[in-house]
Amino acid sequence: MLYIKCPHCGMRSQNEFSYGGDATVKRPELGKEVSDQEWDDFVYNRKSLRGKHWELWQHLFGCRQWIKVERDTATHEIFKTLKANQEISK
Amino acid sequence: MSSISALANVHLKGQFGDYDGKNENSILKISEVKNLLIIQIVQYKNSKVSLESIKIDGLKLKDEPLSVSNNNETRILWNGPNNWLFVSLKKDLKKDIFNNFKETDFAITDLSHSRAIIEIEGKEVKEVLKKGCPFNFNNLEKNNSINSNYNGIAFTVDMLNNNPDKVRLFTLRSFGESLYHSITDASLEFGYKSF
Repeated sequence: MLYIKCPHCGMRSQNEFSYGGDATVKRPELGKEVSDQEWDDFVYNRKSLRGKHWELWQHLFGCRQWIKVERDTATHEIFKTLKANQEISK
Repeated sequence: MSSISALANVHLKGQFGDYDGKNENSILKISEVKNLLIIQIVQYKNSKVSLESIKIDGLKLKDEPLSVSNNNETRILWNGPNNWLFVSLKKDLKKDIFNNFKETDFAITDLSHSRAIIEIEGKEVKEVLKKGCPFNFNNLEKNNSINSNYNGIAFTVDMLNNNPDKVRLFTLRSFGESLYHSITDASLEFGYKSF
């Protein structure tokens, strides 16, 4: 069983969380002219990375907050978690 | 119109499971709790109201995980950041809450009739909870509360006492009968008395 440290509640089982996709995708700037390709990249196109990856998860059965999780997609090791409004440091 | 409790159709009174030959005080006690005032309090993200200045029934809203502010009749459970579940025997506090919390800063919702509440007492309570919930109950102390799931049913656990363990379980009213079946099935091994 995987354990994820929710930045609000503490260490909880993965059963309480729901996966929410890539956390690095940025919405195109509001009011800016957007090409079809840029919009496709934002809405649909995702990389399927092997290794460390920032993801969005929701603590659905707990505090119901969205959080960011850095997880290794190959080993499932979790390195770091952040609140949704915290920036990912590079 | 008379109100029908959430578990009226399933909650049978008596002794069940492996209670034979055991002292009545050593088996689990399960009951349905009715007539509580339950109000969800959510502070909006853009609200700048300080929580320090707010008191309900003499209790502060604590924005700390697991925390429960409590007195003999009222308990305020932390549900998430800026989100609390207010539970009280004093029904007349409803007016105070609706009057004292500004609509522009807080969302106040009366959930009194939309929850099923089960109370369990006994030294095996944590064992019963561990059977269906992934939370590490060894860390749950008196006056702590958590949100989690029990066999896939979202529920809130409020630890009322630890000598012996006594918990209150809240779930959506429509999930109440399913949760009751799960909890009582898990309790059969230890024997339980429902009243």
